[in-house]
Amino acid sequence: MIAREKLNLFKQKFGPAINRADLTGENRVFVFVEPSALKSVCEHIFRDLDARYVIGIAVDDRPYSGTFLAAHDFAFDRDNILCSVLAHLPADDPRVDSISGVVPAANWAEREMHDLVGLEVVGHPYPKRLVVPDGWPQGVYPLRKDFAWNQAPEGFDEHQEFKFDEPPPGCTVVPFGPFHPTLDEPAHFRLYVEGEFVRGCEYRGFMVHRGIEKLAESVLGYNDIPVMAERICGICGCVHSVTYVQAVESAAGLRPPPRAEFLRTIMLELERLHSHLLWVGLAGHVLGFDTLFMQCFRIREPVMWIAEKITGNRKTYGLCVVGGVRRDLSSELEVELGQVLDRLETQWRTVLGAVLKDRNIRKRTAGVGVADASLVKETGLVGPLARAAGVAIDCRRDHPYAAYGQLDFDVITAGEGDVWSRLVVRAKEVLESIKIIRQCLAKLEDGPIGLKIEDELPVGRLGLSSVEAPRGEAHHFVITGENNRPRRWRVRAPTYQNLQGVPTMIKDQRLADMTISLASIDPCFSCTDRLETIELATGRARSWSHEELIRLARSRQG
Amino acid sequence: MSILSKVKEAVICLRAGRVTLPYPAQPRPTPPNFRGRPIFDASRCIGCAGCANNCPAREILVVDLCQEVRVLQYLGRRCTYCGRCADVCPEKAITMSRDFETATDHVADLGQRLELFMSTCQRCGRCFTPPSALDQLKLKGYRFDDVAHERWVFHSTAYGRDEPVVEDVEIELD
Repeated sequence: MIAREKLNLFKQKFGPAINRADLTGENRVFVFVEPSALKSVCEHIFRDLDARYVIGIAVDDRPYSGTFLAAHDFAFDRDNILCSVLAHLPADDPRVDSISGVVPAANWAEREMHDLVGLEVVGHPYPKRLVVPDGWPQGVYPLRKDFAWNQAPEGFDEHQEFKFDEPPPGCTVVPFGPFHPTLDEPAHFRLYVEGEFVRGCEYRGFMVHRGIEKLAESVLGYNDIPVMAERICGICGCVHSVTYVQAVESAAGLRPPPRAEFLRTIMLELERLHSHLLWVGLAGHVLGFDTLFMQCFRIREPVMWIAEKITGNRKTYGLCVVGGVRRDLSSELEVELGQVLDRLETQWRTVLGAVLKDRNIRKRTAGVGVADASLVKETGLVGPLARAAGVAIDCRRDHPYAAYGQLDFDVITAGEGDVWSRLVVRAKEVLESIKIIRQCLAKLEDGPIGLKIEDELPVGRLGLSSVEAPRGEAHHFVITGENNRPRRWRVRAPTYQNLQGVPTMIKDQRLADMTISLASIDPCFSCTDRLETIELATGRARSWSHEELIRLARSRQG
Repeated sequence: MSILSKVKEAVICLRAGRVTLPYPAQPRPTPPNFRGRPIFDASRCIGCAGCANNCPAREILVVDLCQEVRVLQYLGRRCTYCGRCADVCPEKAITMSRDFETATDHVADLGQRLELFMSTCQRCGRCFTPPSALDQLKLKGYRFDDVAHERWVFHSTAYGRDEPVVEDVEIELD
């Protein structure tokens, strides 16, 4: 058992510092260490054992153990192991050593630990606010258990402007966003530009953070969360829903029936199909090549229709519950799905035949927004971004979940790490997805689609799950809890890591390449911020001030 | 050869022809198991409030006006049409209709209100067993959701023991 070997390695090196170790299943390792040893253990795992950094999590565990918890998740991609290193911190002085100096990928996660739970991260290289806005009062931490889910803190100044860093000498500041034609969602990049060239940037995001994790651990129930998790992202909704239920299942020791696993796999791959087709189209759109955009969307539409027939909706499939899926796939729909895939494959091969030889697209994207293998390692980049840089990581193969362990498919890689490579990787992955769904249809056996859960789920168990979203690995961390809801649920969307690579990708590039560089990671700010979006149309032509809009929204009349 | 690519791309567009559908001039039927607006059937509803307890958006309110009369109010404004209410309903009183064109200038049009005559003891919880330990139906006791302000009164540990659940209404916590 490889997980045990890893644990023995830790014990040999850090014996006295390890307080407790849990092996839950063959490929989950939870190591509880002394807070003082957290940094050296993480450094050892990241550097010497060459694990990939996934995410850092802070938990207010005071009502249960009287301490705070700080955790760092790592993935051993070659050994199919997800590992979490945890440390209990005293309630009166929750200080933890920053690991960002040795594991740069932990930068945002540690800032979020401070913003939301109030851990003091000692020695962080850039201890600036990340999630909460600058007007948020000092010393108020929304993810602590003594902060009610619907509480508005006293002293919140919503008019407080962000305090930005000084640009480097000789550089002009060019604001990019929060509202920009290529961004579908708000995020602000403050670009430092010297002539035509970007020399650096400062990122301020999380403008639409709505605290869905807080909602889950205080209001919703286990089976309410999958349909809410789905609304974290408008594109990879099913991914978040599956990741959440898998994390809960792994914590509670449940295994859904095989048919449910295959149905999940089919829907995840349908989601990847429509997402990749959408992204290739949008990349064309950002480059000013709208013909490609139109054709991609035309080819994509039948995928949305078949998803609607199977699940009852084009998007937000509402598919998963803990222990299984909600809807079965009828044999007529199986046949129809096969026909949709056949047509899609023919049409997509035709488009690929044209686009992959199109010199205009290639010239516009080759050498642009380069993320090389060392950046992938340092910043923890995932998904097509990593694969385009030649780093063959894919959770479907490395950490098989659902039915992927029984399927045969290739992990597409390219070597250049530029936007062109990402385009090629994603375009070819469409064909792999089609292959996967065909295998699923061939192997699908009759049987139940859900477990009958007789007992309440055990309390205080830890669960990890990683799912390969179209954009990269989505990772969820769950601690099960009382009252039919988790104590803590942490969502890490792929964009959370990928965005951290953007400043390096755009450095010393032309300003005009900023849009496609950013678009090439397929940024999903809603995933990163973990929100739900609500659009509000007034229908009348008048301008509203910020206060009027808020008042209108809060008056709750018709 | 780029010029060949351009020719190919032009051929793809020409072959595709016109793909836009004449919607809304011609209505486009939704598939049979489409999840549209939920419809509540008052003749079947037994007032167990399982839908209200399992609605992720907390869009279904239940209030007991007296021992015999229970009101179930569906607001419909931020309903996500997930269909969890229809899943847990033991009497199949909720169907997910195929209706999705619900735009209106008055949001109350989307709501539904059921006034149910409860003939048996609400406290015994005799109706049925819940489908699973996770789909808690919480059958016992009275419910006092805040219909006036259209708020679900949460049975939640997010509140401290001494804090009022809703400032202007006093309610005992679970």
